[in-house]
Amino acid sequence: MTVWPLTKLAPAATPAAAGAAPAPAAPPTAESLREAWWAADHAIEPRPYWREVRRRFFTNRAGVVALAGLGLIVVTSVLAPLLAPYDPLVGVATDRLMPPFSGSHVLGTDEQGRDLLTRLLYGGQLSLLAGFVPTVIATVIGTAIGTWSGYKRGASGTVLMRGMDMLYAFPAILLAIAIGASLGGGLLNSILAVSVVFIPPIARVAESATRQVVVQEYMEAARLSGAGSLRLLRTQVLPNVLNQILVYASGLVGVAMLIAAGLSFLGLGSQPPTPEWGYMLNSMRDTLYSAPVNTMLPGLMIFLTSVAFNTASDALRESMDMRLT
Amino acid sequence: MTAAATSTETPPVLLQLNDVSKQFAARVGLRKAAVSAVDGVSLTLRRGDTLGVVGESGCGKSTLARLVVGLVQCDSGDVVFDGRTYRAGRRRTRRDLRDMQMVFQDPHSALNPRATIGEAIAFPLRTQGVSRAETEARVDEVLARVGLHGNYRSHYPHQLSGGQRQRVNIARALALKPKLVVLDESVSALDKSVQAQILDLLLELQVEYGLSYLFISHDLNVVEYMSDRVAVMYLGHVVEECSAEELYRAPLHPYSQVLLESIPKLDPRERGGPSALTDGEMPSPLDPPSGCRFRTRCPFAMDVCATTRPPLVETRPGHLVACHLHPVPESATAGDPIPGEQ
Repeated sequence: MTVWPLTKLAPAATPAAAGAAPAPAAPPTAESLREAWWAADHAIEPRPYWREVRRRFFTNRAGVVALAGLGLIVVTSVLAPLLAPYDPLVGVATDRLMPPFSGSHVLGTDEQGRDLLTRLLYGGQLSLLAGFVPTVIATVIGTAIGTWSGYKRGASGTVLMRGMDMLYAFPAILLAIAIGASLGGGLLNSILAVSVVFIPPIARVAESATRQVVVQEYMEAARLSGAGSLRLLRTQVLPNVLNQILVYASGLVGVAMLIAAGLSFLGLGSQPPTPEWGYMLNSMRDTLYSAPVNTMLPGLMIFLTSVAFNTASDALRESMDMRLT
Repeated sequence: MTAAATSTETPPVLLQLNDVSKQFAARVGLRKAAVSAVDGVSLTLRRGDTLGVVGESGCGKSTLARLVVGLVQCDSGDVVFDGRTYRAGRRRTRRDLRDMQMVFQDPHSALNPRATIGEAIAFPLRTQGVSRAETEARVDEVLARVGLHGNYRSHYPHQLSGGQRQRVNIARALALKPKLVVLDESVSALDKSVQAQILDLLLELQVEYGLSYLFISHDLNVVEYMSDRVAVMYLGHVVEECSAEELYRAPLHPYSQVLLESIPKLDPRERGGPSALTDGEMPSPLDPPSGCRFRTRCPFAMDVCATTRPPLVETRPGHLVACHLHPVPESATAGDPIPGEQ
């Protein structure tokens, strides 16, 4: 009910009267006013969705920094063979546990005299793999199970969710060890084990989010158009629950790295001497007092990666949610 | 008031409910119970007409709306729509849903927050297999028809006001060109001034597209403005059904009289003291009173009310009431059980 369009458009609405006499003449009809009002373009043509998301993301400083940091970690890990100054597997017995900035070892050496910078660069390859891949696998499967159970409610949903609860009853690390042990060692098996461990919590988050969505009137309206279950899940449920699931899953990346580290420490994950941040952290834990900085470096990398990932995913979620301005 | 009311011949029946009932399972403590939401309701809606349904909240109006479109399956009785009979439990096919659409109560939750207005209106069309080009044209048409600029297609629901959102809901219901639109408290969430705009829009659209409305509301003034015939519901029963004009002039059932008295009046001289009839709360639908369900609050309650449920009978031409105060006149017992519009 703003006044400006009407006052601004009054002459335009009665062009004939304006030419004939200066006094107020034939009153504009409702139709002519409506058309003039529309012509003034009161509904602004909005920007395309993804361009708007990008613009909003880049106004979030923390998100941009986190994204840049994450990009740096990924790129340096991938390019490790080109960047690393030493061989990651060969150590010099006399140069053990040198502190950072000693000689040509920028970040010092580990307990076997291997260059830490080199091992951190190479270690990123396996650690990122062990962090991301299980999270992605578990998110896809957990979301499918959770949304289906939350939407269907009936026997199939109950059976699925009670099965999830059974897995959830075990402590995460214990379950991972049990699965890893029964499958045998190796990186692939440790990724599988961590994926299975992560499915139940993600399914739970997805289920509770779905339950909130299915009681909304827009679900009824969509059902009234004759849409089948899969179409409803894809078009109505998934877009509305994905945010909550992704926020939760992004927090699991760091946990996945740590569980993978624990598995490799037990000889179930990646096998030594292949560098991997979690394994490096474990193998240097005896030297925590003699060389604290060296020991903490792999832990710092895990920490930085997971914080960067969380911050970037938070920023992305905020910029995708058009209701927050 | 509407086109159908002034036409000389009686239009054909579009929707007929025959003795429809629905109970919901509920749990009280450890005991299982059944909530009787709709109990033995029979109604008739003719093509091009508007049938209003009024009653307090909790009387089964919304369940009735969902029974008609098949969002809720009835336990017994059948729904006859456009010549097709849906017995208890028979689901609507995708094709059937083209002809019946619904406008929901809450303009905020009735639109998917992740879909643009254009996507929301196109959704039923795409589901029904309408071609992409046709969908585009239809979305443009209905948006313009409900008075929204085409640019709103790419807006999200949160960018619109309540009245605009309700226009979008109406546009979505119209996109499939249905024969019946069920309006479940469709203007209750809006301001009075916006309500008036939406009601006038609904009346315009009814004439233009030849729609029939099942108009459900707790607001008696709105129902009178919109409806040709009105059914008054109390605790899952229809207690009175007649033309809108007659209900407001001469209500027969004590509950209808209470409802009409409760309309706020502008003139203070018309306002009476607190009515003796409005005492008490609605009984729990978990344990409805025997016989006539209104007897616990009725000032005229008699012994017979506790034992026998009064049947809904035509006491005057076109005026049905379910009350022991208004027994069946001897001459009107025979004949068509479904009264025509007078």
